[in-house]
Amino acid sequence: MINTRDQEELFKLIADYLEEDIECVAIGGTAMMFQGYKTTTKDIDLVFKNGKERAIFIKAIEKLGYTQKSLKFIYDEKRLKNKNKPLLYSRGDERFDLFAKDVFGFEIETEKFVQRNDFIGKKELIISTLSKEYLILLKAITNREKDYEDIENIVKIEKNIDWNSIIDAAIQKRKQITWILHDLEETMQKLKKIIFIKKEHFDKIYAAEEKQK
Amino acid sequence: MIVKEGKYTIERFAEENSLTRQSAINLLSKLKKQELVTISGGGKQKRIYTIHHLPKKKTNGFYDVVNKYSPEKLQPRFEHYVNGTYTVEHAIIDGVRIGDTRTLEATKYLFKHVTNWKRLFNLARKEKIEKQVITLYKKARETIKCKRIPERYIK
Repeated sequence: MINTRDQEELFKLIADYLEEDIECVAIGGTAMMFQGYKTTTKDIDLVFKNGKERAIFIKAIEKLGYTQKSLKFIYDEKRLKNKNKPLLYSRGDERFDLFAKDVFGFEIETEKFVQRNDFIGKKELIISTLSKEYLILLKAITNREKDYEDIENIVKIEKNIDWNSIIDAAIQKRKQITWILHDLEETMQKLKKIIFIKKEHFDKIYAAEEKQK
Repeated sequence: MIVKEGKYTIERFAEENSLTRQSAINLLSKLKKQELVTISGGGKQKRIYTIHHLPKKKTNGFYDVVNKYSPEKLQPRFEHYVNGTYTVEHAIIDGVRIGDTRTLEATKYLFKHVTNWKRLFNLARKEKIEKQVITLYKKARETIKCKRIPERYIK
């Protein structure tokens, strides 16, 4: 587990060990911490522009004693078979899930960020975070142990979630990630127990699924 | 105690939550420590307390630098936090990268405060935007009184 302050200190330290300036997008717990939805996280999920920038980051964290770990027991079968799966690095309780370019085929639109955190040390590490809608969708895609709890946290705090934009983004990506609509619908069904989600949103998903078939 | 989001003066906050003025000050102070309140005003101006539902740190990035130095103010498109030293030179590069007309207009006032041209051009070279920086500088020189750039950077 890592808390907000430790996370910031860690990024600052990593910036000192980088060989080049790099930019990445934080998703999952890290992004939630940057935006104030929670105070601790188990894993730090980062998406890099390409494999080269990810390699630069890995080189820096390896110098700090992080070692590569297996993805088994963390992701399910269908995600483990995906060619866009992340690389996992850990040291004690802290874990990095490092994606390059996309998250299981879901390409991140880096220009749509809502917050930017610059860590300026010897080199610059720029971490952007996406909107709450994107966070929910990406949590539904990664679907790990605590991901659903995190989604619940966001919807409990935020009253005005734009479900239309979440569904539209999922529909756009349904060709690359065939299971995306199914997983999103499943998550929304669970959420219905705690918040009100209009029927028209579900209908939109069903119509898109029909079209896909 | 549940406190509604929004903007308050101390009197409005006390009235809304059925508190005495002193209790309201104490509660707001507590919320401020949890980063749930931002305060504007003070001194001659009346203080306005903005209550958020999520902890909000004070931003210290591009928009803060531009709005400090430029008479043309910008509404932030994103929250920008910096850990480390963020200089006027960094802000010029960010302004050029954002690139819309209004941002460029506001950014050009920063040339008046550049102290390290080498840093500016190293950053520009890294982002491959040297030409745009020089163009913006020339535009700034036409309208604003700002420092002369060393010749070697223009060639």
